[in-house]
Amino acid sequence: MPPNLPATLLVLVPLLPLLAGLVTIVFGRRLGPRVHMPAVIGIGAATGAALLLLVAAGGTGGGTHEAPRPAETTVTLWQWATIDRAIDPQPGSPAALPGIAVGSTDSGTRPLSLAVTLRLDPLTATMLLVITSIGLLVAIYSIGYMHDDPDQPRFFALVSMFVFSMAMLVASSSFLLVYVFWEAVGACSYLLIGFWFRRPEAARAAKKAFLVNRVGDFGLAIAVFLLWLTYGTLDFHDVRATDGTILPGILGQTRLADAGGFVGGTVGTLICLCLLLAASGKSAQVPLHVWLPDAMEGPTPASALIHAATMVTAGVYLVARCAPLFVVSPGALAVVSLVGATTALVAALIGTVQTDLKRVLAYSTISQLGYMFASLGTGTLAGFTAAIFHLVTHACFKALLFLGAGSVMHAMGGVIDMRRFGGLRAVMPITAATFFVGSLALAGVPPFAGFFSKDEILAALHARGWPDAHGGVHHDHEPAAGAPAAVRTARLVPSTAAPVVPAAWRSTAPAATPQAVGPLDWLAGAGLYRGLFWMSLITAGLTAFYTFRAVFMTFTGPLRLPPEAAHAHGGHGPDDAHGTHGHGQRGHESHGHASAPNAHGHTAAAVDAAASHESPPVMTRPLVILAGASLVIGWLLFATHGLGGFLAATPSLTAPAVVATRVPPAFHLDLAIQGTLAAAIGIALAAIGHLGRRSDAPSLERFLGPLQTLFARRFFFDEIEHAVVVRPLESLAWFAALVDRVVIDGLVDAVARVPAALGDIVRRGQAGVLQRYSLAGVAGVLAVLLALAWQLWQ
Amino acid sequence: MNPTTSATFGLLAPEITLVVAALVAFLGAAFAGLRSGWLVALVGIAAALVLSGGQAVDGVAVSGPLAIDGFSTFVRWLVLLLGGLVALVQAGDVFRSAVIREPQPSAATGEEAGVFLLLLAGLSLAGVADDLVLLFAGLELVSIPTALLLALKRTDAQGQEASLKYFFLSLVASSLFLYGVVCLYGIGGSTHLGAISDRLRTTDPGTVVIGAALVPLAVGLTLAGAAFRLAAFPLHFYAPDVYQGTSPGNAALLSTLPKLAGVVVLLRLVGLAIAPPTAPAAGYAATAALDLLWPATAVLAAVSMTIGNVMALRQNNLRRLLACSSIAHAGYLLVGIAAASAAAHAPNGGTGLAGGTLAAIAGGGATLFYLATYAVATIGVFAALTYIGHRWPEWSAAVPRPPREEAASVADLEGLSGTNPVVAFTIALCLLSLAGIPPLPGFWGKLSLAAAALEVDAGGWGPRRLAFVALAVTLVVNAAIAAAYYLRIIAAMYFRSTTRGVQTDGGIGAGVGMVACLALLGFFTLRPQGLFTAARRAGAVVLRGVPATDTAGHHPGAPSSPAGSSAVAALSPVSPSPSAVP
Repeated sequence: MPPNLPATLLVLVPLLPLLAGLVTIVFGRRLGPRVHMPAVIGIGAATGAALLLLVAAGGTGGGTHEAPRPAETTVTLWQWATIDRAIDPQPGSPAALPGIAVGSTDSGTRPLSLAVTLRLDPLTATMLLVITSIGLLVAIYSIGYMHDDPDQPRFFALVSMFVFSMAMLVASSSFLLVYVFWEAVGACSYLLIGFWFRRPEAARAAKKAFLVNRVGDFGLAIAVFLLWLTYGTLDFHDVRATDGTILPGILGQTRLADAGGFVGGTVGTLICLCLLLAASGKSAQVPLHVWLPDAMEGPTPASALIHAATMVTAGVYLVARCAPLFVVSPGALAVVSLVGATTALVAALIGTVQTDLKRVLAYSTISQLGYMFASLGTGTLAGFTAAIFHLVTHACFKALLFLGAGSVMHAMGGVIDMRRFGGLRAVMPITAATFFVGSLALAGVPPFAGFFSKDEILAALHARGWPDAHGGVHHDHEPAAGAPAAVRTARLVPSTAAPVVPAAWRSTAPAATPQAVGPLDWLAGAGLYRGLFWMSLITAGLTAFYTFRAVFMTFTGPLRLPPEAAHAHGGHGPDDAHGTHGHGQRGHESHGHASAPNAHGHTAAAVDAAASHESPPVMTRPLVILAGASLVIGWLLFATHGLGGFLAATPSLTAPAVVATRVPPAFHLDLAIQGTLAAAIGIALAAIGHLGRRSDAPSLERFLGPLQTLFARRFFFDEIEHAVVVRPLESLAWFAALVDRVVIDGLVDAVARVPAALGDIVRRGQAGVLQRYSLAGVAGVLAVLLALAWQLWQ
Repeated sequence: MNPTTSATFGLLAPEITLVVAALVAFLGAAFAGLRSGWLVALVGIAAALVLSGGQAVDGVAVSGPLAIDGFSTFVRWLVLLLGGLVALVQAGDVFRSAVIREPQPSAATGEEAGVFLLLLAGLSLAGVADDLVLLFAGLELVSIPTALLLALKRTDAQGQEASLKYFFLSLVASSLFLYGVVCLYGIGGSTHLGAISDRLRTTDPGTVVIGAALVPLAVGLTLAGAAFRLAAFPLHFYAPDVYQGTSPGNAALLSTLPKLAGVVVLLRLVGLAIAPPTAPAAGYAATAALDLLWPATAVLAAVSMTIGNVMALRQNNLRRLLACSSIAHAGYLLVGIAAASAAAHAPNGGTGLAGGTLAAIAGGGATLFYLATYAVATIGVFAALTYIGHRWPEWSAAVPRPPREEAASVADLEGLSGTNPVVAFTIALCLLSLAGIPPLPGFWGKLSLAAAALEVDAGGWGPRRLAFVALAVTLVVNAAIAAAYYLRIIAAMYFRSTTRGVQTDGGIGAGVGMVACLALLGFFTLRPQGLFTAARRAGAVVLRGVPATDTAGHHPGAPSSPAGSSAVAALSPVSPSPSAVP
């Protein structure tokens, strides 16, 4: 590969979807039936480029497999702005690393340099491939799904712009650009949730998603400010100035090589918590998860792309990217894990009683993202790579499940309530089979994708909870947070040597950390992680239960179709079911299918099976591809340990404190058995309750008693947040409005009368306007002169 | 002073080209039936741009009363660029009439274009002038053609009134400025700027006494001359009346090119009092001039921006509103001048490239950068208004042919985003830039102005620092006030439905000018760095921060910009060296 090719490809990956989006916006309706072409071609080419990048980003950066060196390539497109002497760091602070920030001849001030820089490293390459490939499949699927929608240009333009923004988000090498594109994907998400903005539910859901995300964005903004004040730069990478000096970036190799380069303590914990707040908003973690279920009001392909596979993983990416910042704040890490495991459990519990197929999947997404956060919070190399591994497999099978749900919805004329249809495997064999594969992957049944990634997450949690059980040979003389000595040792040990388990993990050993102690560090004990491990195991069982409950309700039992299904030919979106666009009926007539007069959902046998049918090939082929991927990707990546070794060269994961936690890859048979057992129990319970039964029959939920209300009302999160956040804010707004009307408006009116009065005075002298103007001007100049003379004689 | 030689003509080639083009336009219109005078103007400006580009000299070329250095080159480029944009706007429907051979509307374009070219030549001369007489002549060559253009472009009573008002008030301002020039001559005993600067900085007691007496007069009166051109308090009164009474194209001219002249005059004045790095420390008269100049400009800045913005809040006529806004922007520009003159004389600062001089350069550079971004955005708005032209008439049976009404009020723009999305987008983007919304260039301009103000005496908390912190706060508060009336226009365009619509009969030239301004704004949004570096370098030259021979502006004190210039900077995996680990 020529040396400049990776850089060119890296620029092309976001650029091509951007061009596709612009072409769609500009030409839009003129493209007629080929309106999807720019998006499909642009994202398709970007996928090819991302595949090549994966090759380019490979390797261990020149290091050994055990101690990979950071591998990164940065491309500075242009210098956006430079603000000279923007910060004057205190000597000895991380912003002025001794021996590193050499060169500047003046007082050591540093410019705020805002460059548009893209980066390529294994983490970015992985994310780019996930984003573009899922984006491509979703775009192809949408050709069928959005076929009859009059606003197709808007949809494809938004999807292209989303892929562009998301690619930029993961390829940016500066916190400022990350912030910019963090907002950009939020805006795309807002516009796609509210795609059918004439429906009040969609508009409301879009607004809710936007506002809840703003809370998280606020955290990101604070984090960026704090990072700037602490580190004196916003770049990830080291920058070489023209005079050859190196300005160390926040996640650059210079700082990574320095054991004391990252700030722990109160400030470090605060930064990490702000980043976590941001990640919680985007990735729908408790308590900011409330927007994601409502976001299902958008078109299903958009849900699959944005609200299942890619955008919601931005938080996971952010935490993984900032791994060196987190590992020096064990307290913040513990909070990450706690939030993640709690979210996983709560969302899974809520998911068990949902009746809307898409909402089951939405809660499942929240729950799986919780898994990823729990894994990230372990702060180990295995934990970080397991989270990204689960991110990749989850993107595959969750996109598959969402697109399958979209296929069902498409065929059912927009009905998505599982109680109103059943036995669909008879009419939609491909959708049913692929959905089944996706469910097995989600439930964690071996050898499907979810099994392997979930196993690694459980293993990472287990390793923190029971460090002794993981071959822990303790090097008591080694400090915990990866001081240089530990790094060298870790790099020198051959692969057969016993892994290093830092002493601080053992609940009994006092932690002799060189870092400042953060305010929350008392949280990070083995006991917490033991609890989180059990929570995750229970969640695994619940996941299998609600997934197969959905499968059994939708695809097994007697065939039943809702009356809307008869109108579902021609591929219009679910909005038609709500009668807002009103071309659903037209489609039914023109396609000439004989609709069954008695297809009213409760007489299964009488339904004319021809009324409903499998989705067109343009929709089912992406399903088949994704099903194939869900089948093999977990096994493939696990058996080769490919992803773990690949990601290990990511600069962020080569921080000494992360590398110190490296353990040789292993298959944990005991954990695998526990996980599989949990899944089996869940599936068995679902089968007892729902297999072969009518989906509207009374089910297992009736045994839950009052808990069912709790779950069905989603733990009252919406109500609590309404009472705790929204209501006080509304009161404040009401009060502010009152003050504004009475006090401010009064003042403004009073002030506004001044220019009016002034104007009256001027207008009174309007007759001799020229002379007055001259007089006023000369008088003003004289006044200035007098003032100057007076000042001089002072 | 070097004698005038043939080299002078070589250096003046761009200005001479402009004058020749003006003559072609005049004579062609009078004798050869030339209809497309503005086309001649555009060709002339393009030729002058080429000549001035070929003339890029390193260092300084002094010949006769001229000094071509980094500053005058920047000014010349800015003049020609803004002149080209304004000419496009002014051209209006002339290109169309040149094709259709319509006799009526293009009758006076030859005269208009010629006068406009003379104006540009005068402004460019003021930029290159190294001599008070040439400076004054250049400024007059701006004022008189402006008054003529006001009269030519609009021949109704309103237009004549505007022209007369502008003419008489410019006479008043010119006479005040002339007194200031006389005082400077009295101090320096020469009209050459270098000689005046030397005398200002002298420590010879005899000269100091004369200087002390004349310095306040010279500072105050020169400031007055500049204030009129900037439309700053207390000589701002003409702006609303004149803008309202003339065409949008003329308003685009009035709000940009004279401001450039004012900034040139003020920066030259500050530069006079600053010692070059090689020279000894400043003398008494020079420091007195700086100590007098900064409070005066700071007060005028604060008053101008407040008055302008408060007046603009209640305007409904677009040109009147933008006139008030241009008064406010004059105030912003003066902030940079005040910062430059205050920082140039740091009470405890040493000679040469001390922190004070760097801060002064920051002030000068910020002023020039802000001026450029402001001018592009303002011309963009006026180009769009020219392009919009007239409202659709309300037809009725009673009046067979209703008079055409100019689209001039905020209400006339209602619903423009639906009928003319590109025009609405241009206006919105330009107004947002004027309001200083990030990441548009206006934001960078306001940021650098505020940063320059905050850099004055940044070490301690003396009274000067307090004053400049207060000035920066005033600037930010005023930017917030200004956003109110800019957003009112944007709200009208985007959130109201259209009532009558507009004809967009302003001609293709205005449309091209509008799109050009939009493209420039977009470019400066994505890459403000180049313009900023150029402005800073020009400021460094005029404020004597660097020896004029070193136009690269690279001095050891300035932080070197990171290696972002190379398109591909692949960092090779660096192995952490043991020395980096403490």
